[in-house]
Amino acid sequence: MARMNEDGQWIVLMGLLVALGLFFLALIINQSALVGQTTAEGVLEFPKNDIRDLREAVFDYVDAYEKHDSDPSKIRNDIVAISLERKNAVVYFENETPRDVSGRMLHPVTIHYNNGVTDYDETTYY
Amino acid sequence: MVNDAGQLYTMEGVAAGLIMLLTAYIVVSTTSVYTAGDTHIPDMQLEQLGSDVLAMMDTPDAAGGESRLVEFVNENKGPEFKNAFLNYCNATTSGTLDNLHMSANVTYRDDDAIKEHQFVEPDETWTGRESAVRVTRWVQLDYQSSRTHYDKTRAQAVLVEVLLWRV
Repeated sequence: MARMNEDGQWIVLMGLLVALGLFFLALIINQSALVGQTTAEGVLEFPKNDIRDLREAVFDYVDAYEKHDSDPSKIRNDIVAISLERKNAVVYFENETPRDVSGRMLHPVTIHYNNGVTDYDETTYY
Repeated sequence: MVNDAGQLYTMEGVAAGLIMLLTAYIVVSTTSVYTAGDTHIPDMQLEQLGSDVLAMMDTPDAAGGESRLVEFVNENKGPEFKNAFLNYCNATTSGTLDNLHMSANVTYRDDDAIKEHQFVEPDETWTGRESAVRVTRWVQLDYQSSRTHYDKTRAQAVLVEVLLWRV
């Protein structure tokens, strides 16, 4: 190499530059697989369906609270205890007496959800 | 820098440096295994499908009525639940049906204990190594003395958990 034949050095130098460029392009393609993976994992780990399901359960609970003479606080204990056991989520919710919201009587409902990664708090009227 | 001498020395130096960097990169990257990004997308879709089916089954035909899911859980109709669930899951817009399988259990609270009841047993395709997804649905049962399982003496909330996998 060096000192043996020093013709065409510019060609070799440009060749090296092109090779370097290709190397970095390959590196970028390699990383693109990772981007797709973390996105899919992020969607899987985000408890969207858990939270939606909990909200509907809470609204059912409010319905039961209005309709039944049985003690609905036991239903709340069910949801709190089973959430902790089966979903690793700390959950709490409560409803207050109905108040007038734009002419309709609605329950203020507060919902808290925390599974250690995702924290969700909501106050809504139902 | 006054002349062009020594360019090849520079190139050899750069090439040697690159080889060393590449070696270090390969050695470090062998410690982790990456799966392709689209591996998890079918799981994601399966989870959404299962959630949607459970939500649909938990919707009563008329306001104030009882949904089919509540009926199945209340009367412990495991096989009927399985048929209805897989019927919805495996439906396709055209061509052959999808090949999904499921098992289910119901978690309920009995005083301070959380108990599980096997609602639908897994079929013969279950080996324990499926990439199954878990979908859940809260179901609220009214007080009903004819109930055969769970706590008969009160209204309660139970959690229906379905494991869903494709063969």
